[in-house]
Amino acid sequence: MSKRQPYPQEPARPGDKPVWITLGEKRSAKAPDASAELVTPIKSSDVIPTSRLSRRGFLGLGAASAAIASEGCIRRQVEHIYPYAKAPEYVIPGVPNHYATILTRHDEYVGALVESHEGHPTKIEGNQDHPTSLGSADAMMQAATMDLYDADRSATVREKNGKGSDWAAFDKAFDAILKTLAADGGGKLRVLMRPSNSPTIIRLREAAVDKFPHARFHFYAPVSQGNVYAGGKIAFGTPVMPRYNYAFAKTIVSLDADFLGTEQGALHATKGFARGRRIERPSDPMSRLWVVEPTLTVTGANADERFRLAAGDVDAFARALAGELASRGVDIGPVKDAIGDAKAPEGTDAFVKALADDLVANKGKSAVVAGRRQPPHVHALVHALNTALENVGRTASYAPVSDLVPFDLGADLKALADDIDGGKVDVLLVLGGNPVYDAPGDIKLGEKFDKVPTSIHLSSHFDETSEHCTWHLPMTHELEQWGDGRAYDGTWSIQQPLIAPLHGGRSAIEILARLGEEPAKAYDLVRTTFRERAMTPAHFEAAWKTALRLGLDSGSNSIQFEAHATLPDVAAALQKAPLPKPIGPQNLEIAIAPDNKLHDGMSANNPWLLELPDPLTKIVWDNAALFSPATAKALDIEDNDVVSLSRDGAQTIEVAAFVMPGQADNSIGLVLGWGRQNSGRYGNGRGFDVSPLRTVKDMDIMSGAKLAKSGRTYKLVQTQEHGRMEGRPLALDTTVEEFKSNPHFVLFPSDEKEIAETGPVKRELERPGSPTPKTGPLWDRIKYEAHKWGMTIDLSTCTGCNACVVACIAENNIAFVGKEQVYRGREMHWLRIDRYFVGEEENNPDIAFQPVACVQCEDAPCENVCPVNATTHSEEGLNDMAYNRCIGTRYCANNCPYKVRRFNFLEWRSPEGARQPVLDTYQDIPETEKMAFNPDVTVRMRGVMEKCTYCVQRIEEAKIAARREQRGMGPNEIKTACQQTCPADAIVFGDLNEPRSEVSRLARSERGYALLAVLGTHPRTTHLGKIRNPSPALHKAKEPK
Amino acid sequence: MSSRNRPIKEIGEVYLTKEGMSFHEVSDTVCTVTEKRAPRNWWIAFFITSTFAAILFITIAYVFWQGIGVWGNDSPSFWAWDITNFVWWIGIGHAGTLISAVLFIFRQKWRTGINRAAEAMTIFAVICALLFPAIHVGRVWFIYYMFPIPNQMAIWPNFKSPLVWDFFAVSTYFTVSLLFWYAGLLPDFALLRDRAMGMIGRAGKIRRLVYGSLALGWRGSHRHWQNYERMYLILAALATPLVLSVHSVVSMDFATSVIPGWHTTIFPPYFVAGAIFSGFAMVQTLMLITRAVYGMKSLITMRHLELMNKIMLLTGSLVGYAYFMEFFIAAYSGDEYERYDFLSRLFGPFWWAYVWMFGCNVVVPQLFWFKRFRTSVPVMLAVSCLVNIGMWFERFVIIVQSQNRDFLPSSWGYYRPTGVDVCLFLGTLGLFFTLFLLFIRWVPMIAIAEVKGVLPQADPHDVGEHSTEGSPGHEAAADAALAGGE
Repeated sequence: MSKRQPYPQEPARPGDKPVWITLGEKRSAKAPDASAELVTPIKSSDVIPTSRLSRRGFLGLGAASAAIASEGCIRRQVEHIYPYAKAPEYVIPGVPNHYATILTRHDEYVGALVESHEGHPTKIEGNQDHPTSLGSADAMMQAATMDLYDADRSATVREKNGKGSDWAAFDKAFDAILKTLAADGGGKLRVLMRPSNSPTIIRLREAAVDKFPHARFHFYAPVSQGNVYAGGKIAFGTPVMPRYNYAFAKTIVSLDADFLGTEQGALHATKGFARGRRIERPSDPMSRLWVVEPTLTVTGANADERFRLAAGDVDAFARALAGELASRGVDIGPVKDAIGDAKAPEGTDAFVKALADDLVANKGKSAVVAGRRQPPHVHALVHALNTALENVGRTASYAPVSDLVPFDLGADLKALADDIDGGKVDVLLVLGGNPVYDAPGDIKLGEKFDKVPTSIHLSSHFDETSEHCTWHLPMTHELEQWGDGRAYDGTWSIQQPLIAPLHGGRSAIEILARLGEEPAKAYDLVRTTFRERAMTPAHFEAAWKTALRLGLDSGSNSIQFEAHATLPDVAAALQKAPLPKPIGPQNLEIAIAPDNKLHDGMSANNPWLLELPDPLTKIVWDNAALFSPATAKALDIEDNDVVSLSRDGAQTIEVAAFVMPGQADNSIGLVLGWGRQNSGRYGNGRGFDVSPLRTVKDMDIMSGAKLAKSGRTYKLVQTQEHGRMEGRPLALDTTVEEFKSNPHFVLFPSDEKEIAETGPVKRELERPGSPTPKTGPLWDRIKYEAHKWGMTIDLSTCTGCNACVVACIAENNIAFVGKEQVYRGREMHWLRIDRYFVGEEENNPDIAFQPVACVQCEDAPCENVCPVNATTHSEEGLNDMAYNRCIGTRYCANNCPYKVRRFNFLEWRSPEGARQPVLDTYQDIPETEKMAFNPDVTVRMRGVMEKCTYCVQRIEEAKIAARREQRGMGPNEIKTACQQTCPADAIVFGDLNEPRSEVSRLARSERGYALLAVLGTHPRTTHLGKIRNPSPALHKAKEPK
Repeated sequence: MSSRNRPIKEIGEVYLTKEGMSFHEVSDTVCTVTEKRAPRNWWIAFFITSTFAAILFITIAYVFWQGIGVWGNDSPSFWAWDITNFVWWIGIGHAGTLISAVLFIFRQKWRTGINRAAEAMTIFAVICALLFPAIHVGRVWFIYYMFPIPNQMAIWPNFKSPLVWDFFAVSTYFTVSLLFWYAGLLPDFALLRDRAMGMIGRAGKIRRLVYGSLALGWRGSHRHWQNYERMYLILAALATPLVLSVHSVVSMDFATSVIPGWHTTIFPPYFVAGAIFSGFAMVQTLMLITRAVYGMKSLITMRHLELMNKIMLLTGSLVGYAYFMEFFIAAYSGDEYERYDFLSRLFGPFWWAYVWMFGCNVVVPQLFWFKRFRTSVPVMLAVSCLVNIGMWFERFVIIVQSQNRDFLPSSWGYYRPTGVDVCLFLGTLGLFFTLFLLFIRWVPMIAIAEVKGVLPQADPHDVGEHSTEGSPGHEAAADAALAGGE
């Protein structure tokens, strides 16, 4: 205001008479020049403030700056944004769609139901109607979205030396190649692909052979079913895929078969097996699982009787078992002579005898299963035994194999390598797979590939194989492509894409089609193949749509046949096959199996799987060579020692050692799928590649191993370092016998339980359950009148397979933290599976799995101690977590007796995934990884506590749906993510106040107990005690020792 | 030198200062430290400690930027060095109030030699302690959620949470300790102001201005002294329960939880005893150093040190009793989790921490049963340092070891600290000693007025009256103040 001046009087011309009203005016008018200057309009020089800025000056300057700032001198780039005005039909923002498709798992097709949020898939469930899935998905399937959104997937076509190129250039080059090849019928063309029963691939392959009659197709997969097929060929004259009814079988014998874990068909096997194990009352029948195997597997961990036997000794064991059966009157015909008087491997006598007794007692209700890596004649012998035990048609049936590839894939690959050496290959087309990484070491495939003039590799990543090829083509992920495939029983399913290819890749069938017919889109190729299923064109469209909707073409399953093994052929095969030299301290064995989570390493860049603890060893981000405690002692090996393994004819590898209870003596357990050098940011250099140790002749089981200690150590990291329960009543278990005599084994002796039983409840066992506090709280306990959410987890059926853990990760946007952070105990898994070793014998313990997530205590210790009320109780009894309110004092986690709360110690969503404290933590994660987030669940930031919510987003979704439809909630309407995927149906969730719900029935079952009940926390999760079914005969035999 | 009010030798009383000190000598001894140039050693020490203090602030900035994942804290050790340091510093902060308030109320005249430094130490220790709860949260920018601030969401802190109790207890303690300390300083600031009257130049001007402001117009009148003594007594009475309450409340962070090894009713008295123990050890360490460096042997006599040692012996034995009692209760309770936890303290992976704790806190102070050790400066310096180390390990054992052996063996872990943890801890030591060095440089490190009050010549009564009370009543104090204002 200081600048405001009165209007100056009219300029005083000389001679004018002054005009004034007051004296003051008259005086001030004497200096007209000074005031006149003050009212001159703003000049540009005035705008630049020197000392004091006027109001007008300020406004003028402000307006000018705003104009300059908003306009500038160049035109901004035009960026059009478009409203979501024309939404695709059926897509409602916020409401996910589900599509049925199939995914490859363990080289077989498994039905899946994929949840898609606004066009991007976020969650994979099993397809209830699909025979291989039956509504469940396993850990690898659950993690498939992370494979899809892997930021390191190849996005460009590359020519030799990694030079960038594009599809147009490749198409041109490929046309020229094909023209040249056509001259001699493709004599110098080789195609290498993984075995697949996809009808379209088979059709296109045949078409390609028609066009290039001299071309050869080779097949390779590091995990092959060749022995299974070959065994079927011996026994039945045709290769078969055996199927066992584990639900019906009373006695199940696994000869090195991890049928609940890494074998094909594990999902439906688990489903059936769990059905045979689920007993609600002591009088219920229960199956008994006998396992002989070298390395503790998921199957072995669930065995009632397990003998740790070197894989090479399983053959002798099988023969001895056959002998014992024959001596008990089981008619195995000429096989009896073929086995002669085979002696059971050392120490197995009592085991074989008890097993034989059990099998004879359960004739027609048993199943003998041989593992994939056992030689063909063992499979044949198993078929013979199942025939002799009258199991065929009851517990065992056989499905024909639709894709007849060579049985011995290693030899097939060797043939290709020899052809390359012989200069017979000009063009090599590798469709999928990563053979340079996973080929047996003695082939030295990388060197061979370098010799091929034109090699083309189609793969999702620019990987080890791509480096040795002249062309690399980016491949679509299974969620991006059209395809088809058959289930083990022949059921035909269509693979439909959930999303357009993120990186412009092509699928294998699109490349394969170029060989045989005119290039076409995968959609048309798959439809063309499917036409054979349709009777008429009119029928076709309807059938196609139904198949897409259901995820399968019902009725397409081939009829399974009940074949009886031809005993003389089996006998002949046995006679031909010499018994391998017994395994012993002088003859160390190496047994290689697919990994429990990475399988053969195709998803080695998947951080969800890398950080998933192995079900048995609980090691993350690595694999290890497993030694039994006795062998480790004899060889003077300790955990984390780096040892080098070698054998004649194979390359030497170095691998970290880990001493694992349950491992067979003198047998070293290794797994495939690790040690990738070119898989991406997460997988590179993780673990140890064991393929160089394999040879074409011995792919999986190899004796005569040499071991040398390197003197170095390597840090292996486990999520659970302590494996004993220390006598605490945590994962409660008992035997069927004891369960019968004492149904309330889960209770503390003096406790009573609200079950519909009469008479006082008592238990007299060594390990009583956790006592319920006798004094209640001083306040009235809250009555939950409306919903009362609860969960039961059945330890009897839980196989410890890890599917629920990854399902939880995918559903709840759980971060992975990296090896170093897991070493610091900072893994974020809301749901973990505790694995305890039970029993005194450290070489051969029993295993108890116990999934533990937040048990939603009614009197939760975490809630009292939070200083800011960030974790409170909901009206429905959920222990809620308000992330916005949490300041991260971590007091709640300290006070949680179950240690299920997880803290974001750092910003886990950092770009490199290294999760190391670096100053640029706040860069963002790859764009594609963000697409994997479930939009219904908050992504937590650093400094915030988090934990299982019972999938509260699913609860709310169901409640809203029920309210909108003005209906009550169904008794079992809500399924948590872990429950939905559990192949064993061990997890049940629901309303405890709803009498019709399954959970309310199970929570009151005799086996139900509250974990750490003594603390008075009143958990909502009820664990159901594990029942084992050991052989009474065997234990009677053991006792005198 | 008058012969009045000499200690009664027959019952073993000895002089609280060097025999025959005059008021002026007392003033001079203490005040010249702040008036002369700082000795070279002070500068060296200050350089070292302030370097560590700088490390502290840099480390805190790093922690804020990255998140507390740069520490070694993990699951199950959600608390580790952060809370260990917090409890340790709070414990150290106990001696000040105890010496000032409790001993004042009990008329323990020997406190006058050490109470000023002890109070200062308390305040600095509590500052160091308060750092940790503030920086240990995951989202430090929301820490105001802890404060009872009215807000539109109507969300209050959870008054059931011991952390909220902690917040109130520690901040109250800090406030009262600060007031108490400052109140005690008033006459001495006035003395410094008055001594600066004759100084010429800028330094004198600044001193007159600063100390004059701090002295709040203290003139040493009888009315001043009357009000002052009354206020001092009231503050002492208010502070006394805090000595018990602060560490009791801190111990409830653990005692109210369910974790075996934490869930223990013995904690409040056990923690208080431990706090006094460690506080005295820290006072002893500091006194021994300043006494030697600044030639305060006439004011901080061997008698002071010996009495301190006796208290350490007492509290150390109390702590030792608590250790045994914990084991006894664990065994007697029949609680298998508790039993296991205590056995694993001895035989588990953290056995070495337990050995440090037990050795330093229980075994080492037993030396003080012997007068030879009790009066030997090297021995008591070693013991007091070891006690501080042992008390740190006590908190470490309680906090970290218990968490690592709780209910579900599947979740057990092994805590490993990181360099950042170490930097933070050393940084707080740096901050503490920096503040202490500044204190001895600029503030009378010994309560001059109070010391004068316990000099024999301060007692107006004649020797013949056999006055055994030796009251530091207002007359004596006024006397002293007059003498101070010479």
